[in-house]
Amino acid sequence: MRTRFLIVDDSELVRKSLRTVLQANPDWEICGEAPDGETGVQLFKELHPNIVILDFQMPGINGIEAARRMSEFAPAVPIVLFTQHASTDLERHAKEVGIRSVVSKTNAFPMVGMIEALLGPVDSGPAVAEPGDSEKSQAE
Amino acid sequence: MREQEKVNILMVDDQPGKLITYEAILGELNENLIKARSGKEALDHLLKTDIAVVLMDVSMPELDGFELADMIRQHPRFQKVAIIFISAVHLTDIDRLNAYQRGAVDYIAVPIVPELLRAKVRVFADLHRKTRQLEMLNRDLRSLSARLLAMQDEERRRIARDLHDGIGPLIAALSMNNGMLAQQTKKLGPEVAEVLQQNNQLVEQLSKETRTISHLLHPPLLDEIGLLPAIKMFAEGFAERSSVKVAVELSPDIGRLPPNVEISIFRIVQECLTNVYRHSGSKTAQIKISHTPDKLLSVQVRDEGKGMTGTNGASTTSGSSHGVGLSGMRERLRELGGTLEIQSGKNGTTVSAAVPVNKTMVKSL
Repeated sequence: MRTRFLIVDDSELVRKSLRTVLQANPDWEICGEAPDGETGVQLFKELHPNIVILDFQMPGINGIEAARRMSEFAPAVPIVLFTQHASTDLERHAKEVGIRSVVSKTNAFPMVGMIEALLGPVDSGPAVAEPGDSEKSQAE
Repeated sequence: MREQEKVNILMVDDQPGKLITYEAILGELNENLIKARSGKEALDHLLKTDIAVVLMDVSMPELDGFELADMIRQHPRFQKVAIIFISAVHLTDIDRLNAYQRGAVDYIAVPIVPELLRAKVRVFADLHRKTRQLEMLNRDLRSLSARLLAMQDEERRRIARDLHDGIGPLIAALSMNNGMLAQQTKKLGPEVAEVLQQNNQLVEQLSKETRTISHLLHPPLLDEIGLLPAIKMFAEGFAERSSVKVAVELSPDIGRLPPNVEISIFRIVQECLTNVYRHSGSKTAQIKISHTPDKLLSVQVRDEGKGMTGTNGASTTSGSSHGVGLSGMRERLRELGGTLEIQSGKNGTTVSAAVPVNKTMVKSL
């Protein structure tokens, strides 16, 4: 089974670039995209992704708050905070709400290796994907 | 207030005839003349209206002029009222001294020379008018400077937001595309790979510069997570850029504060650190933020530099001539009902700000 990604970022450009980077791996697919935190949390609950790439600063709730709500719902799903504002303090806050890793947007290349490590050797993922969900996307 | 706006002149005498005489003398000043037949009546007028000059007889039954002057001076609102005594008796130097000690501005003996009395009253009426104009202009200036500070904050926030929303994603996309290309380096010639490597470095540099500008304009963590993380992040960046070692001691129970308090305290800390770097020559700085027992938020920035010229080690709480930075801090604090104190000497400078924090407005993170 392919690993299903949920992308939450208010920039269309960033979502597009992420899509390109992630889809380069044939075992990975994007199951949904959201332009803000609230929609992201809603899609998270509907789509049961295996992993979330989450922006920090967005309209409405920020990435930390979105991650808190996602973790409450399904704590085992890894969340990667993808931000322009990576800092030790943000990382501390991120860890508190269950975010596994903080990646700087300006140095995105290591992200792929980091995601591979997060997913582990067999990427079945902790959350169970529901059949028929996999092609849902773009809930703007 | 128009320049020609009339001021109130209060005339106090128990003899109606004298009041009429004063009225005739002062009539051509074209101010508002108010008559009072006793000290008690005079106090009533003083409480109700803004009086510029009090002209009063020393000898009156019940409350005499000196007693009335004492009562006027005890009231903080009347400190600036000009009191002129008129007396037919009590004309020794001791009597005059007595009057001046009670805060009189003049002591006129009967018989009155009308031109002289008019001239004296005019001086104090004009002074009062000018003082009122100055006070009004001062208030206007304060509210203007408060608005300017708020607009500056808003403008900085907007530019930082534009950088984040406009340029940030472009840099992120560039970086990701470069990452994709880097995976293909084996297919590229060594020269192309070298250029790609350079591009990567350029993007990183571009990103760092943009990030610094954006963070100095408006700290991203301030709105999203709060004051303390924003200050820590700023202090980290400042230490890196300036080589000044910054120790940060923040009481963890502070939580979220009203947005105007958070931005003001952040700006004050930012201004202090900038001063440490630019003027103090100190290699260290210490930021301390905590609650005081009397429900104030205390913000302290200390350095071990050469001190500020002009303060001579003395503590200063009044207005000063240390440029826009300190006045800006003062204005921000005044808006919040807070205070600023600076202690500076050859062993360093400590800037202490105290801000009242309404506990009910604080929500925890």
